Amino acid sequence: MVSHFGIFLPGCSRLHRLHPLTKLTFTLAAVIIVFGGPGKWFSALVPGLIALAILASAGLARIGLRITLRILVPLALMLLFVHGLFSPVNQNFILQLAIFKVGREGVLYAVLVILRLTAALFSSLVLVLSTHPAHLVQALEEAGLSPRFAYLFGSPLLLIPQLSGRIQSIRAAQQARGLEIQGNLLRRVKALFPLVAPLAFSALVDVEERALALEVRGFSAPHTKTYLNALQDSSWQRLLRWGMLALAVGLLAKRFVWA
Amino acid sequence: MSLKAQLKKDFSTLTLALMAVAIVLNIVLGQVVSLLKLPIFLDSIGTVLVALLAGPWAGALTGLLTNLIWGLISDPVAAAFAPVALVIGLVAGLCAKARLFRQWWQAIISGAIITVALSIIAIPVRVYMFGGVTGSGADFLVAYLLATGRDLFSAVLITVITNNLIDKVATALLAWAIVKGLPKRFTARFSRASAVTG
Repeated sequence: MVSHFGIFLPGCSRLHRLHPLTKLTFTLAAVIIVFGGPGKWFSALVPGLIALAILASAGLARIGLRITLRILVPLALMLLFVHGLFSPVNQNFILQLAIFKVGREGVLYAVLVILRLTAALFSSLVLVLSTHPAHLVQALEEAGLSPRFAYLFGSPLLLIPQLSGRIQSIRAAQQARGLEIQGNLLRRVKALFPLVAPLAFSALVDVEERALALEVRGFSAPHTKTYLNALQDSSWQRLLRWGMLALAVGLLAKRFVWA
Repeated sequence: MSLKAQLKKDFSTLTLALMAVAIVLNIVLGQVVSLLKLPIFLDSIGTVLVALLAGPWAGALTGLLTNLIWGLISDPVAAAFAPVALVIGLVAGLCAKARLFRQWWQAIISGAIITVALSIIAIPVRVYMFGGVTGSGADFLVAYLLATGRDLFSAVLITVITNNLIDKVATALLAWAIVKGLPKRFTARFSRASAVTG
């Protein structure tokens, strides 16, 4: 079953059809280069632009930009505010705002951090927007991850909507019994345990049943499992993955070993 | 007991089912907090629960996976803090092992220990990856501390500790109360739980 999930967007572009491990390797390599590569600005700019180009080629640039703005605008404003006005490294001042002076060094640093975060976010979205979480788990399992850990990755994805719905019924039930969830801080703190405990207890008591159900279905059987849908991989993708990893490690070494 | 045997015991099918449920608790309990408009996150209560019931390694893995899954389904920034979540589970489990989760006041101490431990990981991530800023109201505290002449590192240190202390103490207390309230026949199936209940 491939359903709509999280921020994943179903589609049939080339990016969507790539093997999940190829996209995961791209994201990891890009993030390593953005934060650990030599040459501050260059290392952030190039992976970010490549990631944006990949997103655009799959028709995901608009949604990617929207998510990036939602996450990064508050961060960016705060970075400029904190570092532009208060950074201890500020030496040259470029602007006077009432009693505050805007420092050149702080602003440059803030812009660098924003650029890095944008590049890292674009690179993560290449993977996250185009890959169904279940396919990523399957790919990791085929690559040798223990099926027990694959279960830990996959099962919460199906459970989240279920428990999220249960919170609403617990709230309704407790309010019907007179629990107040508004008012002063003390009253709201008092309402915490009556809302959290029933959810935790009911979820934990289910655990035994889930474990039994897994055991009965041969969860710990030592045989290799087969899959309903096979993932497409190819030799050029395998080559590309090793190439990207080698590039990331090489650039990391260039900065920290031969610098 | 050898390490391999201990790991096998720590990661039984029952523990795995527990961890999966705990990951979901971490993710959905944020809804309760926003419902009550409380100034805490409560996003590691499942992690601490697993640490109390199934030990430090299971707790650490629960924290790590929570943030990776979170990063995958809604906010990639969460993945950057996965090592922090790992430390929360690990240290909570070690506190329980040291019998620091038997009484409510010990849970408060454990909450404080967890806060100090997570700061060691959280501060470098915040300073080097995010320039010491989170995009929330806490950043005004960082700005104020910088304006009073502190460097970025110690400004972030103070902010992280004050922000997390209330949250982690509340998390430790709630987790302690939940483990104490669980039926005996349930906790009896987790060998590590006796350090809290027994």
